[in-house]
Amino acid sequence: MFRYHKFIMKPAGLKKILYFLLLMCGVLIFYLMRYQFSPLSNLSLRLTNKQDDPDHNPAQTEKQPDVWTWRCENEKCIRYQRNRKEPEVSLATCNMLCGSMQLWPKPTGLVSLGTRTISFTVDQIVLETEFVGALEKLVKSAFSCFKENVAKLCGKSDSKNSDINSFKINVNVIKTNVTKLHFDTDESYSLTLKTIKTDLVVIIKATTFFGARHGFETLSQLIWWDEYTHGGTLKVLKGALINDSPMFSYRGLMLDTARNFIPVVKIKKVLVGMAANKLNVFHWHITDSQSFPFRSIRVPKMSAFGAYGRDMVYHPDDIKDIVNYALVRGIRVVIEIDTPAHAGNGWNWGPSEGLGELAVCVNEQPWSAYCGEPPCGQLNPINPNTYDVLEKLYKDIIELTKEDEIFHLGGDEVNLECWSRKLKWNNDTGYYSDLHDLWGKFTVEALQRLKKANGGKLPKHVVMWSSNLSKKPYTTKYLNKNNIVIQVWGPLQWGEGVDLLREGYRLILSHVDAWYLDCGFGRWREMGEAACDPYRTWQSVYMHRPWQILGTNRHNILGGEACLWSEQVDLDSVEARLWPRAAAFAERVWNDPPFDAYAAVGVAEDVYTRLNTQRDRLISRGLVAEAMWPQWCSQNPGMCL
Amino acid sequence: MIQKSYKLPCSMQLLLIIVTVFIGKSTCSSSNEDGWRWLWTCDVRTEKCHRKPEPVSIEKSFEFVEPLQHASLAACRLICGRYGALWPKPSGQTIITRQLLPFHPNAIKFQISNTNDQTKQYLIENTQIFHNNLLSECGSNCSSVFNTQVTIFLFPSSSEFTLRWDTNETYHLELVSKGNQVSVEILADNVFGVRHGLETLLQLIASYPVYHKHEGVSHGLAIVSGARIHDKPFYRHRGLLLDTARNYLPVDAIKRQIDAMAASKLNVLHWHATDSQSFPLVLPRLPQMAKYGAYSSVKVYHPNDMRDLIRYAKLRGVRVILEIDAPSHAGNGWQWGEQAGLGNLAVCINKMPWRYYCIQPPCGQLNPINRHLYTVLSQLYQDVIDIFDEKETFHMGGDEVHLGCWNSTDEIINYLNYHGRNRTTEDFLQLWGEYQANALNAYDALVGHKNTQIIMWSSALTDVNIISRYLPKDRYIIQTWVPSNDNISELLLQLGYQIILSTKDAWYLDHGFWGTTQYHGWRISYSNRLPKHENVLGGEVCMWGELVDENSLDNRIWPRAAAAAERLWSNPDTGTAKAEQRLYRHRERLVSRGIQAEALAPRYCYQNEGECS
Repeated sequence: MFRYHKFIMKPAGLKKILYFLLLMCGVLIFYLMRYQFSPLSNLSLRLTNKQDDPDHNPAQTEKQPDVWTWRCENEKCIRYQRNRKEPEVSLATCNMLCGSMQLWPKPTGLVSLGTRTISFTVDQIVLETEFVGALEKLVKSAFSCFKENVAKLCGKSDSKNSDINSFKINVNVIKTNVTKLHFDTDESYSLTLKTIKTDLVVIIKATTFFGARHGFETLSQLIWWDEYTHGGTLKVLKGALINDSPMFSYRGLMLDTARNFIPVVKIKKVLVGMAANKLNVFHWHITDSQSFPFRSIRVPKMSAFGAYGRDMVYHPDDIKDIVNYALVRGIRVVIEIDTPAHAGNGWNWGPSEGLGELAVCVNEQPWSAYCGEPPCGQLNPINPNTYDVLEKLYKDIIELTKEDEIFHLGGDEVNLECWSRKLKWNNDTGYYSDLHDLWGKFTVEALQRLKKANGGKLPKHVVMWSSNLSKKPYTTKYLNKNNIVIQVWGPLQWGEGVDLLREGYRLILSHVDAWYLDCGFGRWREMGEAACDPYRTWQSVYMHRPWQILGTNRHNILGGEACLWSEQVDLDSVEARLWPRAAAFAERVWNDPPFDAYAAVGVAEDVYTRLNTQRDRLISRGLVAEAMWPQWCSQNPGMCL
Repeated sequence: MIQKSYKLPCSMQLLLIIVTVFIGKSTCSSSNEDGWRWLWTCDVRTEKCHRKPEPVSIEKSFEFVEPLQHASLAACRLICGRYGALWPKPSGQTIITRQLLPFHPNAIKFQISNTNDQTKQYLIENTQIFHNNLLSECGSNCSSVFNTQVTIFLFPSSSEFTLRWDTNETYHLELVSKGNQVSVEILADNVFGVRHGLETLLQLIASYPVYHKHEGVSHGLAIVSGARIHDKPFYRHRGLLLDTARNYLPVDAIKRQIDAMAASKLNVLHWHATDSQSFPLVLPRLPQMAKYGAYSSVKVYHPNDMRDLIRYAKLRGVRVILEIDAPSHAGNGWQWGEQAGLGNLAVCINKMPWRYYCIQPPCGQLNPINRHLYTVLSQLYQDVIDIFDEKETFHMGGDEVHLGCWNSTDEIINYLNYHGRNRTTEDFLQLWGEYQANALNAYDALVGHKNTQIIMWSSALTDVNIISRYLPKDRYIIQTWVPSNDNISELLLQLGYQIILSTKDAWYLDHGFWGTTQYHGWRISYSNRLPKHENVLGGEVCMWGELVDENSLDNRIWPRAAAAAERLWSNPDTGTAKAEQRLYRHRERLVSRGIQAEALAPRYCYQNEGECS
């Protein structure tokens, strides 16, 4: 609790007013208490209770009023039986006004929130600022996303209740030419909300559009549905001042659509969830050895041979659609075609087209001799045609995503045994005493092709998964630290990151022991063990704070990424797997809150309450999110810890 | 466009091909790289369907179809292996021919015979369910028309209309075809057996895509051309527990579970309706229970909701057994006693720090020494009996009584002191035993006899050394929830108790998400063998609701509960390797019926059977 106070710093000018308000509150509370405990009111209370006692009136049982009301006591909302004398306070309203702000992820800067609320309706919200060009489209889209999110809070009710005349939003963007997200894009924003007479005025100030859209997101979190007032109404805080910017510039979520296909509509829902949590990189692991659903413009055979079915393909238009959908939500799309391993189905048409084997070990049995999980497949690095195909795919991806700053090359889990046994070696191909060198050469050539595909310039950040190649001596031999970013996925205790940081590499962290959201569902094959049990609870996702341990050159940690591999997930459970755990991750990379030394179970009580509010928000926006606990615990904050 | 089926003699079997012949002028179309499709063949020896290594172009597939190829995995699965696509696999004779006949879901006629109005109505409604399921299976654009006609005869031989442990669920299905006439006979003792037969018949049907040059893809259905199946369940009690107290589950979400249960031939929905967290049942005699106990006025079950669910379930061969857990796991909903002048009906309600008074927040335990409690229980039971069938069994809970709660309640301590009783564990067990005897008496008084069998969880009270003192075996069935290496079930059987098993380390579906528990995958669920003993009524998978609400209910339960369903229905001697392909198929079936069942493996493994072991 102490930490919390430190966090909300009130501007000095407001102090006097706040003291006065505090005093008035005190007087009010005293008055209410006196009223409640006066013997007379107590008596009348009983009498009304008696009259209304449904026990004596069993007929009126079909529709019962909500019996609960909440009172804020010691910064906690306490559930009480409604007694009809007090004003009725819904849980949402109580939470919004009770000690803890319900913002997620928690802002990193100054936050000052009003303690009074007003009602309004969706159609009162107007965007006052005008922009031109590309920015206009972006801001308008972000505004309508915001408005839609607010409308969704109302559910089916059509509330017409309002205390104000208008709800005006002004957006102030300094760099009007920034319409793409980059590593150095300023995502900070400030949000001011005040009531001027009968108008509610919001001012969002940001350097770029990407900050401004975060401002909209935060504004949506100052708004909630109060089911008790006037039979249901939208409410907003009467005043707020928030300054905010992220701790890390790379806040990613990886989704695998190759083990199981995820339809475009579901991917969009993932993006909606990411936007709500201010995540900004959608890392799309679009292909793997199992399937190749990426419909390449230049190499259409890939998906013909690699997709699970004709309806399980991402067409160029789908990808453009997703990229656009992501952009207005402040998210960039990074497509990964994993190579040279994790590539099989989709690469098996070479011989029939006279290009030779583009991949080897494809669907080879017994698979355990050639790969880490069935089916096998690995690119053929000694066939020059392989690189031609790669270059075409790279070109497709850059064209479709318009992403030329980050490129993901894949590069994990190469099985040298596959190459050693299945490549057709001869004097032309040369012989390798250490096949890591072949892997290294493959990577160098792939980077060359990437450079060509990108108009002669290598993307500034080429990401590769950590692997044997990102270990000495191969790192320095094949991976130029000026271009290559390593996405570290081994468990923290492997210490992969420590060495790489020391050598000056930039990292993205995706530690399997904390941020792999697919783990915990047992083995999916008849034989063998589960890949990475147990399940990572949201608490363990949240508590993972690896940069504390990694030591030197911490500024080279670009950020983190939570990963959802899809061996045991498809459209039916992808959302429940992600939320609210990916939200827990999002606060870690946005705010990186310190651990609360006083919290008995590691995660502070306030985090439970806020995350639960965020979960409700996600559900209101049509997402599926796992339950965090029995609902009783939501209704009785702090009582389940 | 014409669909034809040919009979091809191939070695000793008749194998089918669905040939799609495209008529019309073969216009020269630009080469379209998206025009590819997969074909499947059945390897008779390994009983696996294989995806052909390379896709064929759609145009090519119009002109040229090799024998033994199927346009969908589901169609191949129907005829591949002795048990084809059946789940759970039948326990008796099972013969399925290898030929498929295409038909349209509307080309089905039903003949219902030998029944009274009640059972006839039941079967008519079931034919509607059958038809809806067929349409779900066919999928979108189910527009291919064929001239096959399917006639289904339903023969229940008795008018038995109650689902009990002794209900005969046996059925016999005979499917024959002559030319384009398919005739199916389902014979059973009663409508519940017939219903199982219809469920099996659905599993002899699969959809496959039909490619039209100009209109694109539509879907058609294929049915096996011949089948003979004798089938009956191994265990009588095949249950799924749903917990609507930790988190409320909307009626529709519960109905979805019943749909999936029906598809898997599970027959008991164990409704753990209340707990210390909430009391969502609106009871006519005791409206305070929901008023004080529900999360909100909409998160409740009205009597009509309950009746609706019971009816919905019965129509799908599922009985609903209600559990009102007591004396522990009872708190919210019981707070109103004092105000109503009845004293504390429950104690320790929401008491903190909870760790001293219960095993999970919020605390709460009934107050066994308050005689008003039994009056209230009596009213509660009367409502239960009114809404549920009087002849239906009732689950009285009885797990995890926290003696520390009672032992810290002055009222109870004073009572024990006053009566010269001590406060040892035995004393509190005796108190619990007295509570249980009073509760049972209250129930018996309402139904007017002492024949109702009551289910109780295994607990300290069911310890083999004391159980007979408190829970006579002619009255109580014990539901054990211990790990598989615990011998309490065997010991209870030796004492002559009837039992239901909910093996904790296999059938607790909430495990793996809290504490040190582990997730039990479908293979573990499938491999959980129960003792073979006439007093083993069966088993139940349990979906406790602490970390589950309607958002993830489906994928937490399915298809793992279906894996348990085959264990309970056919109790196979074979292992999971033999079951894998059929379960993958069953999972797809559940998904097509709107149940969001979890994916079990990469789709590659579905499409390439046996390649991912």
